[in-house]
Amino acid sequence: MARLRDVVEVRTRARDPIQVGERTITLQSKAVSVRWPGGGWVWNRPVAALVERDGEVERIPIVDVTRIAILAMVGATALLWLLALSRSMVQRQERKDGDGRTD
Amino acid sequence: MAEQTSGPFSVPIRGPEDAALLVGRLSDAAQPSAVFSEPVTSGERTVITACEVTIGLGFGYGMGSAGGAEPVGEGEGEGEAKGQPVPAVSGGGGGGGNATARPVAVIHIGPEGVEVEPVVDVTKLGLAFFTMLGSIFLMAGKIRKAAKKL
Repeated sequence: MARLRDVVEVRTRARDPIQVGERTITLQSKAVSVRWPGGGWVWNRPVAALVERDGEVERIPIVDVTRIAILAMVGATALLWLLALSRSMVQRQERKDGDGRTD
Repeated sequence: MAEQTSGPFSVPIRGPEDAALLVGRLSDAAQPSAVFSEPVTSGERTVITACEVTIGLGFGYGMGSAGGAEPVGEGEGEGEAKGQPVPAVSGGGGGGGNATARPVAVIHIGPEGVEVEPVVDVTKLGLAFFTMLGSIFLMAGKIRKAAKKL
């Protein structure tokens, strides 16, 4: 397990806070790093903006609309494929059963 | 709004140490500074862009002898005796990588507050939609064919 941790790392990091007027904004990103001897792969994406004002911290999530929409499309397609496959299998079975009865 | 890609480029890697240094620089891409731009202020408004960054790279090298030995032609070498065999050793290596960045959101900071405006990648969504449609039609056609065979 320790070896897997050496290879794959998922970490949320925060950028140095930015002062804009009365607000202090801290931007967070999440990086997935995979390392192997002789190479590596990094996927880094924005996660949230932490806005601090008068001692109160508000977390504003940064939503990747494109990724969500694509995942929804992939999910819907997979579901349709599964439904169509199961339906065709049921129909095939029904026809086989029907042929068996007539014989 | 498509992913920003630059053309291919080459970096001279003289040995495994150079390659390891290049791979070590991957940690730069895992920093928040790779995702968020520097704030741009105009009047009372400040804008920061947020991107999704993906980087992958790898390299490999090898060296080996053919197992046999080649005789030295004329035996003029300093350390080799005339006519003595010298093992045939050869090696090589190579590597490659890819990096993409896609805008995800724009953060507006103004007097009225902080607003995160998502950036929709219409090209990517369009491509995914038509791929989905094609996949559904393909599946429907296959099921119809199978139903006719029965």
